Amino acid sequence: MKKICLTVVGLYIGLFAAFSQSNTDSSYRSRKLKIEEINLVSSYYHQEGDHAAVTGGIGSQKLTDFSNSLEVKLIRYDRANRKQTWSADIGLDHYTSASSDKIDPKSVSSASYADTRIYPSFSFSRENEKKGTEWGAGLSYSGEYDYTSIGASIHGSKKTANKMGELTVKGQVYLDQISLIYPIELRDGNSTDPLKRGGDSRNSYSLAMSWSQIINQRFQLAFLLDLVQQQGYLSLPFNRVYFTDGTVHVERLPDSRFKVPLGFRANYFAGDRLVLRSYYRYYFDNWGLTAHTASLETSVKISPFFSVSPFYRFYQQTGVDYFEPYLTHTPGKDFYTSNFDLSKFTSHFFGSGIRLAPPKGVFGIQHFNSLELRYGHYSRSNTLQSNIVSVHLKWK
Amino acid sequence: MNNKTTLPQEGNTLVKRALKLMGNRFEISIQESDSERAEELIQLAVDEIRRIEALLTTYHPESETNRINEMAGLAPVEVSTEFIALIQRAQRIAALTQGAFDLSYGSIDKRFWNFDAGMKSLPDPILAKKAVQLINYQNIEIDPLNKTVFLKEKGMRIGFGGIGKGYAADRAKEVLVKQGVKSGIVNAAGDLTAWGKQENGEPWTIGIADPRAASHLFSYINITDMSVATSGNYEKFVEIGGKRYSHTIDPRTGMPVSGIKSVTIISPYAELSDALATPVMVMGKAVGLDLLNQMKQVAALIIDENNQLHTTKNIQVI
Repeated sequence: MKKICLTVVGLYIGLFAAFSQSNTDSSYRSRKLKIEEINLVSSYYHQEGDHAAVTGGIGSQKLTDFSNSLEVKLIRYDRANRKQTWSADIGLDHYTSASSDKIDPKSVSSASYADTRIYPSFSFSRENEKKGTEWGAGLSYSGEYDYTSIGASIHGSKKTANKMGELTVKGQVYLDQISLIYPIELRDGNSTDPLKRGGDSRNSYSLAMSWSQIINQRFQLAFLLDLVQQQGYLSLPFNRVYFTDGTVHVERLPDSRFKVPLGFRANYFAGDRLVLRSYYRYYFDNWGLTAHTASLETSVKISPFFSVSPFYRFYQQTGVDYFEPYLTHTPGKDFYTSNFDLSKFTSHFFGSGIRLAPPKGVFGIQHFNSLELRYGHYSRSNTLQSNIVSVHLKWK
Repeated sequence: MNNKTTLPQEGNTLVKRALKLMGNRFEISIQESDSERAEELIQLAVDEIRRIEALLTTYHPESETNRINEMAGLAPVEVSTEFIALIQRAQRIAALTQGAFDLSYGSIDKRFWNFDAGMKSLPDPILAKKAVQLINYQNIEIDPLNKTVFLKEKGMRIGFGGIGKGYAADRAKEVLVKQGVKSGIVNAAGDLTAWGKQENGEPWTIGIADPRAASHLFSYINITDMSVATSGNYEKFVEIGGKRYSHTIDPRTGMPVSGIKSVTIISPYAELSDALATPVMVMGKAVGLDLLNQMKQVAALIIDENNQLHTTKNIQVI
């Protein structure tokens, strides 16, 4: 089904589908159409043979009827000429996840192997273009096999008088319910661990502030600050921890975490040929984790047919206070984890893309329009190493 | 932690060119990362539009349109296959709209009709009717075998003002699609056709002008592989006795039409969207919507004189 979204702006009192009172001024009369008139579109170019290219090139069968699938979104200006936006969405998708199958190796395909997620959302925003202000609020719901989440947000922004700077503040609350799925050997009957199966809650509250500033057409800056408070069950129930005495437990972490990321972004557009994007972020939380992220991305157009875009991202974090590797946690602690994502490490991700699009085709082959090669090397001090290569070829 | 290993992507590759063609502002936008190739492609589209302009114009005495008009009431004129096919499609729309769309609209008596804002009263219905007596699509005779077109009445004239821009947009798109352009928009002064998707995978967003002020948008629509045309009385209208009359003349009565401020048609072809927008204004919202609701693959938005929005049934409000 072809989906069309329609957004309507304006002060219109009513919105009607189809029929209204007949117009006596008209000299035209309603009449029943003939079959060929009903199907005028599909036979429109009939006499001229194949005109499929007009509709997108796939063929005339590509013309799908969009009856009852056009969506209308409404935006209206209120009496003060402020722009208001309402939108509602229902998203539906399907995903597969290979590693969640390791929770219970006996079942070939666990329920989460192909969950369907349903996530309706509703949002409202109102913009006063004259004053440069906007505010809005939203509600969302997301449900999965082992997880449901209700979210609410409120945001506001204000531009400076010359519209070059803008302050945005956004508050968000997520109320999550999680069902705890333990590793099979730690479920009822296999262990004396007090935390069995069942459900628990996890609530997140965040306040995000950002200041973006256009210095000039070529140079833009942004400062970002988030304050995040999480409350509730913050461990992952299927992460195993092995103690020095050989016993196995489920990861236990405090039920409260306060996180502060502080960031800075600068983009510079030096003409058409050179673009520089840089980003730095400092992060800390009350679990003892601090982290630095720095990244630089450039794109250099050497000629209209050849461009190079190198990038580098550096990341360093200290581990959380509760981390110890495999078989090194001593019994009797309140909290423990062996998740290496929470350990101390440094990572580097660097690489480059090159793009060739010579006018006579790549390697002199006319139809071989462009070749794009991207390579990235990711290395993490605690084990993980990976190389990512992607090739894009365009054939015409 | 923010440690995603995704590769950065290339920048925007949308290339645009705006220029005056067929007496209107055309804008051609295509998704093509090689800027020189993009210019070549756009030039091909421009050449195609110029070719159609030469075919349809009434400014050059040698155009096929003018040769037909000169021989009105005298003899059939041989024309190209492309021209015959365009007239045949136009005739189907004329029959569909009970003559509200009519290629011979240009036969109106210009001495009678001098539409301007100073008009204080409606014309005499008998005189108005007389001024449009030569408008009748049924008097356009097509002989597909001999490839001739004959206007049966002397003084009759045909013109492509109501369909030509849309046709040009469709043809320009066709040229680009055949050259391998996967995504773009040809905008013929508001009659536009869009295909493919934007670089970010989103459909194209098309703004529709507010009938209260053409420079403002009243709505926008996300489409792909679809064409949109809007007809409205934004600027050219008069108010007589508190009622707003458009510069559009009903070819049946010769009277200016009222009741609708703007009509937007969405269909797979720019030509069809273009050709249907004005006749719906002429037919009025009730008859127009009844017609469009019966048709497949056509959607419409109508704003009436009270600023109320009416849509075909295939458009839904959420």
